Amino acid sequence: MKYINYIIVCALMAFSSCLKLDNNFYNKKSLDTYQLDAYTGEQDFILDASYAIPSSLISVFTLASQTPKETSPTNIYSIYIGDINKISTDTVILYCHGNKWHMDFYWQRAKLLANVKGKNHFGVLFMDYRGYGLSGGEPSEEGMYADVDACMQWLKSKGLTDQRLIIYGFSMGTASATELCSKPRTLKPSKLILEAPFASAAVMVQDASRLNMPGAYVTDLKIDNAEEIKNVKQPFLWIHGLNDNFLNYKTHGEVVYKNYTGVYGSSYMVEGADHGEVPSKIGFEQYKKLIGDFIVKP
Amino acid sequence: MKKNIAILLSAILLLHCAPARYVKPLKKNEQVACFTFGGPIIQFAGAAIPIPFTTIGYARGLNDKVTGYANLHSTSLLFSNLQIDLGTSIALFQKENKYGFSASPALQIATSLKAKNSFRIWPSTDLNFYYHPKEKASYWYTGLNAWFDLTSTKAHQEPQSTHIIPNMHGGYVVIKDKWQHQFQLSYFGLGMANLPNVVSYVGIAQKGSLGFHYALIRKF
Repeated sequence: MKYINYIIVCALMAFSSCLKLDNNFYNKKSLDTYQLDAYTGEQDFILDASYAIPSSLISVFTLASQTPKETSPTNIYSIYIGDINKISTDTVILYCHGNKWHMDFYWQRAKLLANVKGKNHFGVLFMDYRGYGLSGGEPSEEGMYADVDACMQWLKSKGLTDQRLIIYGFSMGTASATELCSKPRTLKPSKLILEAPFASAAVMVQDASRLNMPGAYVTDLKIDNAEEIKNVKQPFLWIHGLNDNFLNYKTHGEVVYKNYTGVYGSSYMVEGADHGEVPSKIGFEQYKKLIGDFIVKP
Repeated sequence: MKKNIAILLSAILLLHCAPARYVKPLKKNEQVACFTFGGPIIQFAGAAIPIPFTTIGYARGLNDKVTGYANLHSTSLLFSNLQIDLGTSIALFQKENKYGFSASPALQIATSLKAKNSFRIWPSTDLNFYYHPKEKASYWYTGLNAWFDLTSTKAHQEPQSTHIIPNMHGGYVVIKDKWQHQFQLSYFGLGMANLPNVVSYVGIAQKGSLGFHYALIRKF
């Protein structure tokens, strides 16, 4: 009998690494084609016609993205809003979208950024991480960072320099934005904007359990903005909805902001805004002014 | 996004993945094995579902008033976390086949099998009242439970402000010759706001989380 017990225990231990939860983190959705303004699915908000972008200034293309450990690249889809020929002189916002589905969902947000300080004043580049939208491959934390860096490689090849690159992360996208400011690869962004950032997987776990529980109980993901931000010295703008019922502005955003020790930090809390509601609650004009003023601030 | 995060974080809910243990202590030298199923109820894909956590365990009556038990959280183990609870169920007062009070102090012990510095111990305790209607063997019960977090800081050296998580529960135990079936409804995080949160708990007025458990117990 004691041998049976021993075998059962060993079998359980052997199985103990079989199941992974990390892949469930990614809320990806595939598409047949990007519809952009014609997209009628769920969106956080829809802009009126005054925000329209001329089709000549919308470029959809693929990039090859490869993590250091991969032997072959993954094709990811990106959209550039602006004149590609002017990247060598323009300032560009690299937008790292959140965890929802694909670029069609975030198209309105990208358009809004393309209207900051006037229509197409800044170039805007955003991408679907691997596994999202039409991008190939499967999502992973390292893959996500590689995908954003692939965008930087493309921007650099078009003449963009560190000083004219602004990186903006929303929700899950704050991981890439913070990581690539903390540990720059191809380009070193000159400014960092985080909207509704999370602090870390550990804080997600502790918010849910109320106990001092290690994040490792749940996930191997690092996504540790609260620690990475300590290496960020570039000017930093933190925006968060006070009614964010998903990522608590106190336990997540405030911890990130508190750990920032760079040259200039600014925060903007939006009354009544839940996760994803910041631009609409703050008002599009005020939102554009906030982002624009931060970008042009010397 | 919440749906996916809920799955991701489901492993953490294992903390509350067992019903009250041995509300009515066993007789001296009586032994049982048990299997439990259930957990907090969350909104998932438009439906309210209990997280299907499982435990397997063993208990023995140390005397007529004290039962010792140990349980392995089997679902948790499948996700590379070793979690056990060790405890005793103590009869405080009882009138045989009528009613009684019991307490159940325990230690909840957990560690990740993959990560360093992940060992944790949370003391917990139950206080239960049980009642045998018409002096039948089966009984109803209700009780309070609390988990204690004795740490002063949490992630990123932020202060840990929550030291007690109060819970309440009620249930019914069907007694057969060799088998027992235990059904329990719980309310976790009594009075604690469940928002903001990455998990959509089903609570009451955005407080706490309801839960459901089932236990199958076999006497030896």
